[in-house]
Amino acid sequence: MKALKCRECGREYPLHATHVCEFDFGPLEVAYDYAKIKKSLTREVIQSRPKSMWRYRELLPVANDPTVGTQAGFTPLVKADRLAKQLGIRELYIKNDTVNYPTLSFKDRVVSVALSRAKELGFTTVACASTGNLANSVAAQAASAGLKCYVFIPSDLEQGKIINSLVYGAHVIGIKGHYDEVNRLCAEIAGKFGWAFVNVNMRPYYAEGSKSMAYEIIEQLGWRIPDHTIVPMASGSLLTKIQKGYQEFTKLGLVGESKYSIHGAQATGCSPISAAQKAGLDFFKPVKPDTIAKSLAIGTPADGFYALKVMKETAAHADDVTDDEIRDAIKRLAETEGIFAETAGGVTVGVAKKLIASGKIPKDSSAVICVTGNGLKTLEAMTGHVGKPREIKPSLREFEAMLAQEEKVNA
Amino acid sequence: MATKNKIVRKPTTPNSPEQTRLWLMYPPKLIKQPFIWEVGHKFKVVTNIRQASVNDEIGIVCLELDGKRADVKAAIKWLEKQGVNVEPVEISAIAG
Repeated sequence: MKALKCRECGREYPLHATHVCEFDFGPLEVAYDYAKIKKSLTREVIQSRPKSMWRYRELLPVANDPTVGTQAGFTPLVKADRLAKQLGIRELYIKNDTVNYPTLSFKDRVVSVALSRAKELGFTTVACASTGNLANSVAAQAASAGLKCYVFIPSDLEQGKIINSLVYGAHVIGIKGHYDEVNRLCAEIAGKFGWAFVNVNMRPYYAEGSKSMAYEIIEQLGWRIPDHTIVPMASGSLLTKIQKGYQEFTKLGLVGESKYSIHGAQATGCSPISAAQKAGLDFFKPVKPDTIAKSLAIGTPADGFYALKVMKETAAHADDVTDDEIRDAIKRLAETEGIFAETAGGVTVGVAKKLIASGKIPKDSSAVICVTGNGLKTLEAMTGHVGKPREIKPSLREFEAMLAQEEKVNA
Repeated sequence: MATKNKIVRKPTTPNSPEQTRLWLMYPPKLIKQPFIWEVGHKFKVVTNIRQASVNDEIGIVCLELDGKRADVKAAIKWLEKQGVNVEPVEISAIAG
């Protein structure tokens, strides 16, 4: 780590818990000394380290060895031949963060970085505002690190998600009010209390954790960048960090120069970035979210502008899918590859299907679909859409009769 | 480096000094309205523009508002009532 740098004007700041430029309020990003890193970070060094996201630690924003979430990341890259056949593409992989450690979502990557850095900076209380995965990961990892934890949620959140944070002993605060008001209050709390608010004042560090997904994809593919990567977009941050990850590995000579596209996926009920991309605009218009993909329901995406820029630079596309298409895609992924994704995964698989069908992703290329959360977290989205178990009496004859009838129907 | 021990937490009152950093997003039909001038006259707040981008489709202004807490809150409420989308500079403080 060298400094924090404004993405708008390039001014540099010390490596503290701060996130916007004092001059133009542009977002701050971590800058590194790549010349120094290049001397020590080789494929052999990486491969000799334990299988977690921290095997790339020189490119993650901590000063010393990580202390929180040391086992996060290095999730499977699954060669998805059965799904590839259905979608009609030559080579397809799923980057499977449904099994990330410890809370079964991509957020374990960013939170382990944010909390490791928060401890280095001397914080003892961490906080976040979240509607789901982020809250679970902060609560769990704060518990294991012995940090005090405050989680802010909209008061009308589903019971399951609340329990998933309460169980770790976090202070969970439900805020009554309109989303915009809750959002502003959380920004205020973050500013006033001097806590490590993971996605506010710790955001420059937190967001860097996403790059580990890109590094792993390259390494697990045998040190190459896929032609196409399909990424879900909420704030748009992950998409920009996948590009940063690919660029860094190229710059460090860990992978050869190649042409690649990073496509963005949203739900139709909250698609400010994909709508802008499809209309050829370089800015988005805020929307009020209405979709089952709640983990992607951000109507005013903080990194929307930068995500649009990355898609333009990499000749990529964005698209969006309806709630029914999301459910179909969740089922398709489960039935072909045995992976049960949350709604955001349905969004990404659904959009990949559309982009392949329309020829925007050519059939003879290679593609990686990023699946970022586990289906067990959004069971309510699939309730009533996957059929019911059939019931029989404890009789072999009844079972045989049922089977015979089923075979007749399927014949 | 951390500021955790230095912060003295006074209870917040309507008279507490407040400095807030906001993104204002104007829909096309409101782009020509001089809301920032109006807000500075209607409320006891200091307005300070840090960035702006205006085109046919949207007007985006990055604004600092300085004043007493009650005045800043009232100014934000008034801007929203006019149809302007008001977000903290952090934008998505609530993540998924």
